Amino acid sequence: MLTRYGALLFAAGFAFLLFVLFTSQPLGAPTMLAGQAVLNEAAGTVGAANIVTAVVLAYRGIDTLGELSILFAAATAVGLVLGRSHGKQASGEATEPGGFILRAGSDLLFPLLLVVGFYIIVHGHLTPGGGFQGGVVLAAAFVLPVLARPSETVSHAAMAWVEGLAGTAFIATGLAALAVDHAFLAPLLGTGQLGALLSGGTLPLLYLAVGLKVGAELASLLLRMTEEESGT
Amino acid sequence: MSEFALLTLLIGALSLIAIGIGGLVLSRNLFRIVLALSLAEAGANLLLVLVGFRRDAIAPIIEQGHALTATMVDPIPQAMVLTAIVIGVGVQALALSLAIRAYVAYGTLDMNVMRSRMETDISDAAGAQPATSQHAPAGGRPLPPISAPRLAHNKGAQG
Amino acid sequence: MNPSFIALVVALPLLAAFLLPLVPKVLRRLVGPLVLLVVAALGMALWQASLSEPLVLAVGGFRPPLGIVFYVDSVAALFVLAVALVTLLLWPWGGDASENLDRKQSLTLVLAAACAGLTVSGDLFNVYVFYELAAVTSYGLAAGSRTAAAQVATFRYVILGSLGSLLALIGITLIYFRSGTLNLAHLADLAPQTLHDPLGLAAFFLILLGLGVKAELFLVNTWAPEVYATAEARVSALLAGLVSKLALLVVARLLVLVFPLPEAREALLVLGMLGMISGEFAAYRARDIKRMLAWSSIGQLGAAFIAFAIPGPAGVAAGLAIALHHLVVKPALFLLAERWGGSLARLAGAARRSPLGAALFALFALSLIGVPPLPGFWAKYLLLSGLAAQPDNLYLLAGLVVLVTTVVEAVYLFRVVGVMYGREAKGEDAGLTNTGSANTQPASALAGSGVFAALLLAAALAAPLLAAPLGRMATQMSDGAAYVARVLPSTATLSGAAQ
Repeated sequence: MLTRYGALLFAAGFAFLLFVLFTSQPLGAPTMLAGQAVLNEAAGTVGAANIVTAVVLAYRGIDTLGELSILFAAATAVGLVLGRSHGKQASGEATEPGGFILRAGSDLLFPLLLVVGFYIIVHGHLTPGGGFQGGVVLAAAFVLPVLARPSETVSHAAMAWVEGLAGTAFIATGLAALAVDHAFLAPLLGTGQLGALLSGGTLPLLYLAVGLKVGAELASLLLRMTEEESGT
Repeated sequence: MSEFALLTLLIGALSLIAIGIGGLVLSRNLFRIVLALSLAEAGANLLLVLVGFRRDAIAPIIEQGHALTATMVDPIPQAMVLTAIVIGVGVQALALSLAIRAYVAYGTLDMNVMRSRMETDISDAAGAQPATSQHAPAGGRPLPPISAPRLAHNKGAQG
Repeated sequence: MNPSFIALVVALPLLAAFLLPLVPKVLRRLVGPLVLLVVAALGMALWQASLSEPLVLAVGGFRPPLGIVFYVDSVAALFVLAVALVTLLLWPWGGDASENLDRKQSLTLVLAAACAGLTVSGDLFNVYVFYELAAVTSYGLAAGSRTAAAQVATFRYVILGSLGSLLALIGITLIYFRSGTLNLAHLADLAPQTLHDPLGLAAFFLILLGLGVKAELFLVNTWAPEVYATAEARVSALLAGLVSKLALLVVARLLVLVFPLPEAREALLVLGMLGMISGEFAAYRARDIKRMLAWSSIGQLGAAFIAFAIPGPAGVAAGLAIALHHLVVKPALFLLAERWGGSLARLAGAARRSPLGAALFALFALSLIGVPPLPGFWAKYLLLSGLAAQPDNLYLLAGLVVLVTTVVEAVYLFRVVGVMYGREAKGEDAGLTNTGSANTQPASALAGSGVFAALLLAAALAAPLLAAPLGRMATQMSDGAAYVARVLPSTATLSGAAQ
């Protein structure tokens, strides 16, 4: 009992400490040393109308590479833990297919989700959204049919190819910049017209790679878990 | 945004962190532990966005027709939050899959029971007597007896 | 050497990891080792280039405080080399179904990339990302032995690790909140005005606790004995030998650059002492060899934290010596322990069954204790002389703790060696001994630890020659002003842009 109160007291005390620290200077007026510099020059040097995208893919591109690798590592580790081999059918044959509404709905939604996903990805440098958000929508598109018809699984081998090639495309773009510009992950191909679909140099390409990679990793994570569920 | 709204957001974020950490320490159910963790992470992410917020500023997206010099919020914390969210998703997926496996092997989601079985397994594998005093929690709570038959013991190894 | 090649030490292993499942089966087993050899060569070249002057790479060509910077001084370059070599020595060559072997090799490559990234990164949030990358791959590898006990141990490790990362992230948020930048050099430049106050210290402690999970810092190291007892020896060796050192290196960098404050040093000193005491005494009480090594590793890392708490180049030199020594000795001990496995009682007569293995174990144990001609002695000597030179009583206390725990260390390690060279166990224990000695990959483990032993003996012979480079590396790393000047040639351009 004492440990319970102790833990609650600790959590509350920690939150109070943070409250004091975060009110020690006014909120809503950030220092923004690096942030303001980025805001000032991002449009000119990177050419993305969405400055967050410029930060994610250009200024902090290596963070994004690390982030993709974390998803990759997590998906690989989940594969290692759950350990069902590729392409092997889960013992889910007996699982009933979903009802009519679920099946018809998933058929209808599948193309829509694909379109929305790709739209979000390719407009990532212009509007809110981008590879991560669009990738999640793509993953949903591929998981939905499995919910409706559990016996039909998506091929893990195909997923592995998309994962591998999308990740490679990201690094290859970076290496191309290293060869051309002597700077890993530097934006190439000029900046273009600010706000146009084809602008921001290699940023849309990078985001496409990110979107495909995120979609494939998340879908394979989710599918592995559903297989595990139907298999036990 | 008013001072009041900002303070509310700050308190909300900190409460999420406090609830998450409290849940993390107090929960014994593996699934709840993962949930508590994701709550705390949500709080931390909210905190990060809040730090980049700037009064009377717009989102850092240049729209056609707007002046380039409009006051914008700090874009860097937003990029950091994106990264932090994705990291959180990966870690939670991994934690859940481990919980699934552990459940299949030990037939329970109770952390304390699981831990004592793990200790027994380690000692069995090492061929040593379990050194209870060394591994028992700080309060010296006795380890729960292992009476229930081990459900599908070591099933994880066959996978 | 062109600094733009620095990016390759991160990019190449990641590329190989992504592509590994797609490479034709014939070549697949060669990809990882080849890439690691390339990284090792890069590390070597970087080390030679950086001894005279550190190299700086603005990733993506964006000038420092805006974009991310990779900074390679001789210490970072040496650790890149160590990362490549140690992962190569502990490479998963076989012993699994093909598919799981692919996964383990991919994870090991990603871990190498993350470790290399941790050593070279000069950006606080980027450090966090690489740290998380190392964490996730460690979780995956730790669960890789696929026993139920390993899965529970890893789950607990994941939860503690995530809690640590959460604290670190909050610490980074605090620092960004106060200073508005993430670049370490820029932070170092701004720290005296903005971060040397309670808020900055709170942020440092949060980050210290967060990174401390991997560095086996006192309070957040409870995962270590469980994970090391259940994971494969190779993985324990990687985690205890390599990953912990890189977390330690990041803490040391933060301490030198951003928080060179007495309060921060005292915290490190106290946590280090507690780690040493708790680790070595728990190791003394441990009954199976893997946990004994796990606890002893916690104690050794405590010593490294104490060393880095000493201000100036002396502290950095001692810390580096201890870290590098442990980097060589602990993986080898874990590899050897896998050969015998299990409880200390099973070790009886091990020397007769495996004379070479027992001899190597004795050698590493002697060095760990710090018996004179071996490098462990020099590491402890540097630590003690550094502590003795400090006027503060807390440092003298730390010196006392080091001496006392060394005695404890000697007692339990000699006990193990004594059992190994003692008579065979008799009666019912004999059956146990036979099952216990059934090892999976004796030859590769012996070869791996043999290489580590060769390194150790070479270091022992060349100890007088190593002093000068070590001193130079320590001076380079402890010079925060040079770091700032090298990364931010003129801060004027930035403040101009910020207006």
